Amino acid sequence: MFPPSLNVTFSKKPSVKMAKLTSLFVVLFSLFCISEAVFEDQVGKFDWRQQYVGKTLFAHFESNTQSSKKLFVATDKNIFASFNSRTGDLLWRHVDKTGPEGTIDTFLLHGQDALMVVGDGRLLRSWDTNIGGLNWEAVLDTGSFQAACFVAIQDTVKHVAVLKKAAISLHYLSNGHQKWVENLPDGDAVQYQAVYSGGEEELYVLGVVPNSHLTIIAYSLEDGEITKQRSVEAPWLSSVESSCVVVGQGVLMCVDPATFALYTLPIQAEETPEFSQILLQSLDLKVSPGFQPVLVSSQPHPARSPLSEFFLQLGTDHHVLLQLNADGYTIAPLRDFQPSFLVSFATTGEKTVAAVMTPKNETACAINLFSVDSGRRLLDTTVIFPLDLNGGKPHKLYVHAFLKKDDSVGYRVLVQTQDHALTFIQQPGRVVWTREEALADVVTMEMVDLPLTGTQAELEGEFGKKADGLFPMVLKRLSSQVILLQAWLAHLWKLFYEARKPRSQVKNEVTIETLSRDEFNLQKMMVMVTASGKLFGIDSKSGSILWKHYLENVQPNAAFKLIVQRTTAHFPHPPQCTLLIKDKDTGLATLHVFNPIFGRKSHIALPALPRPILQSLLLPVIDQDYAKVLLLVDDQYKVTAFPSTKNVLQQLQEMASSIFFYLIHSDQGNLSGFRLRKDLSTERIWEVVLPTEVQKIVAVKGKRPNEHVHSQGRVMGDRSVLYKYLNPNLLAVVTESTDTHPERAFVGVFLVDGVTGRIIHEAVQRKARGPVHFVHSENWVVYEYWNTKSRRNEFSVLELFEGTELYNSTVFSSLDRPHLPQVLQQTYIFPSPITTMEATLTEKGITSRHLLVGLPSGAILSLPKMFLDPRRPEVVTEHSREENLIPYAPEMPIRTEWFINYNQTVLRVKGIYTAPSGLESTCLVVAYGLDIYQTRVYPSKQFDVLKDDYDYVLISSVLFALFFATMISKRLAQVKLLNRAWR
Amino acid sequence: MATPGGQGGGALSTRGGARRMKWALAMTLGNARGRGDRQSNQGDVMYPIGYSDKPVPDTSIQESDKNLVEKRCWDVALGPLKQIPMNLFIMYMSGNTISIFPIMMVCMMAWRPIQALMSMSATFKLLENSNQQWLQGLVYSVGNLLGSALAIYKCQSMGLLPTHSSDWLAFIEPPMRMEIMGGGMVL
Repeated sequence: MFPPSLNVTFSKKPSVKMAKLTSLFVVLFSLFCISEAVFEDQVGKFDWRQQYVGKTLFAHFESNTQSSKKLFVATDKNIFASFNSRTGDLLWRHVDKTGPEGTIDTFLLHGQDALMVVGDGRLLRSWDTNIGGLNWEAVLDTGSFQAACFVAIQDTVKHVAVLKKAAISLHYLSNGHQKWVENLPDGDAVQYQAVYSGGEEELYVLGVVPNSHLTIIAYSLEDGEITKQRSVEAPWLSSVESSCVVVGQGVLMCVDPATFALYTLPIQAEETPEFSQILLQSLDLKVSPGFQPVLVSSQPHPARSPLSEFFLQLGTDHHVLLQLNADGYTIAPLRDFQPSFLVSFATTGEKTVAAVMTPKNETACAINLFSVDSGRRLLDTTVIFPLDLNGGKPHKLYVHAFLKKDDSVGYRVLVQTQDHALTFIQQPGRVVWTREEALADVVTMEMVDLPLTGTQAELEGEFGKKADGLFPMVLKRLSSQVILLQAWLAHLWKLFYEARKPRSQVKNEVTIETLSRDEFNLQKMMVMVTASGKLFGIDSKSGSILWKHYLENVQPNAAFKLIVQRTTAHFPHPPQCTLLIKDKDTGLATLHVFNPIFGRKSHIALPALPRPILQSLLLPVIDQDYAKVLLLVDDQYKVTAFPSTKNVLQQLQEMASSIFFYLIHSDQGNLSGFRLRKDLSTERIWEVVLPTEVQKIVAVKGKRPNEHVHSQGRVMGDRSVLYKYLNPNLLAVVTESTDTHPERAFVGVFLVDGVTGRIIHEAVQRKARGPVHFVHSENWVVYEYWNTKSRRNEFSVLELFEGTELYNSTVFSSLDRPHLPQVLQQTYIFPSPITTMEATLTEKGITSRHLLVGLPSGAILSLPKMFLDPRRPEVVTEHSREENLIPYAPEMPIRTEWFINYNQTVLRVKGIYTAPSGLESTCLVVAYGLDIYQTRVYPSKQFDVLKDDYDYVLISSVLFALFFATMISKRLAQVKLLNRAWR
Repeated sequence: MATPGGQGGGALSTRGGARRMKWALAMTLGNARGRGDRQSNQGDVMYPIGYSDKPVPDTSIQESDKNLVEKRCWDVALGPLKQIPMNLFIMYMSGNTISIFPIMMVCMMAWRPIQALMSMSATFKLLENSNQQWLQGLVYSVGNLLGSALAIYKCQSMGLLPTHSSDWLAFIEPPMRMEIMGGGMVL
């Protein structure tokens, strides 16, 4: 074991003996100093976790009985999960690898077995749906996945067929063993896209040579021999997958969007017939212009052939239920549904029904069941689906049909909307639960203070208004005091009233109306922006969603930037948040301005943004309505101000010479700085080019604007001060080498002054590669990388000091800093990879800092910054002991008490957000990723709050007892004195 | 102690045999048997109670007393100076660690001279009769000042005095920012 390499200023090479001693010391030290795990009774008191699965791709219900409680989903986040359909709670969840390796290609359910093809045909898995355990897993041959289906012999499903690009294989359902695998003939020319089994002795594979012909191959189930092979002319057909389904007794039904015709072809026929064409016109059907018609069919049981009834979608809100007649050539329309959003088949027992969702009014949709045989509407089957105005439109319908006791069909529906939300509805329209799966992909978030209560606001308002004479002021004060008194009396009355009720009836529900700031500002509004374009307002105390707003027309790859322009501090002006959404394709940006407490869109004149926006910059300048000014920089480096009132423009003109911004073009390896001119154009004042052939700029971080540093320096052992280099304009730019060879790869950290472009320091970590996670705060940068030589994760810390004297203690100007800071660096071994890192933040910055590190295991580690201190000495001296410096040890410990989320693992943590609370000791933490976890951390323990288990009763009773004892003994003493005097 | 009045009075006796009375004053000579009465018996004269035939000593001020006063006053004036070696010893013994006992010692050491200096007028009253009143006062205050200087030195060596820059660190305001800067990677 070698100590970590690279030490720029001080070199640390501890001997083994020393390391042992020091690590012992560290352990002892940490025993004394840090113990911050939660107690058992504190579990869930200040923290909550919400687990999500992501956008549903496949969903199945457990079984077709009324009492079944499970439903299974497979999602785009490579998750297979089961919900309790009564409550919407997660029963179990399997999280696979991210990326294409874990993609769920298909999901089939038969009885207790859930079959899944994972990773573009890499694995075939079977899950036991009862407990969520893995039955078996089979590795499939290479080749990209095309289709899979169950294969039944004599009414029992025994096999599963998997079609890949060049091969077809049959597996036993019981153990996953491969029965046979066959290469597909002519695999280069023919695109095999579908596999069909209707319960016979043969398995059919359908392939297409686009715009030429269709190939049908029949395989014997026994040994995989080709029993039949034929090709049919189909010059209009380009894809089987998208335009063909199998209906009735093995009849292939295709739709041609060009000629508006349906084509039918019996798959199993011995001879080679042609496709027979049925023009849609002849059925009196008309496709809406520009719409690609879609066919929907249903095969209720793998052992039987599909239904001869099928849906044809002719427009976005037009479906037709058609029936293939027994002759296999003619089609009879059963029912025309217009308008209709979604259709779905559902089977229970022997009955199959069709569910159709039709718009009812502005705020609701109606779902009805129709008999498939006749197209008649079934009585009493209407379910009302409430349309959320702030939600997406319905996207997919999953129907769980069951037979009631009286043999009629009952059903429940799961509706997936465009915003990835799942809503489960029961007859006659009761929303059983809703899951906001958009929250599985939070992009950015902010925490906003809650508004004051009405009475508090009244008092604040008194001071906010302009003074108009002494007497009116007195009157105003009196009236607000009366209002306060009233509120207090009302509160007392409420307490009294509720005290009489049993405890269980008193509900403490948080609603948007009752929201108000608590004493210590511990409860805040979490504004979360998700990749799907849905915004959420979540109460940080309970985790309940208080508002949601779906932004339509947001591109899936759009970039978001959330800015708080006005906080709640400026009553009566409402708080204001602005979301900058940039379309990656066009580069154009839009602004969405809203009230973060209520989620309502603000009606404010937005600036016209005709040009692509490169970046935004929030100034500490406020307009007359107390909104901070947002500058938007477009691709011609012109600046647009928002809000852009006269007042703001005037202020900007005055301040223009002190406003700077920097832009980083990662693809060009270019950092450039600009200065604002009075006419809101800009001039480039510096440029740094990092050649893209050698290294690539990965990330850049400045300091957080709301960060306060209480102490301007560090006290040394000899009681002198080492002043921190607190440059508010400092940027940490991280680069990675383009060469990924372990010997030549490197990671670079550049500290650049954002105003002058001066490179303050550069640290190059050789034989290292990313992903680099880093935190930049106060006067330090902590970064984590992979050491390719020693094959381990390492943490490195850079700390900047000005020296023992301050250059200028009153103002900081980057333009006037002749001396470079002293840079100290130290590196440590970290025993785990990490997924994200953030530092705690408190109101005044007095509390010591901790690093919050998200680990792939799902834990969030609260690592004291004290351990990442480049001044940790190799040899303990009296001075270092005086400074409370822990002796240097190369290994960084991971102690399980430091996990702030104890056993509440949060998977795939993408970001950690920290916010200060009103208490100096307390920092609010939100970890988001697949799950959302909110808690509080106390880096220096709760020094400003009485303990949770503080014994008020004992203390006050002792006080009272002593008080009375004094009174009584005083009285007794008096009596005794008097008696003595009389004697 | 048992008979407080017995030595002053001549004919005071206790009759052990008498049961009725605890004590009695015998006015007759023939009955006087107490030893203390022998003196008065010799002169055959009855003196009143409390009469002494010895002359009362002369209480007027003499020259030798003047020296005594001077000596006493010097004692008072030199008191603080005499305490200094003792204080030095205590200081040495208590060490420089900051804990309750050394702190208490230092407080005492600092407080006593200050108290003494504050009640200077009372001390001057004491020294009123001395001829070298002013000199003595000076010595007294110098001694006290030395004592408090010693206490301050002790505070200093214990690190209780704000004499280092680190002691004023908490009062340094964060510097004002002259430039406004922002930006980032191109979105």
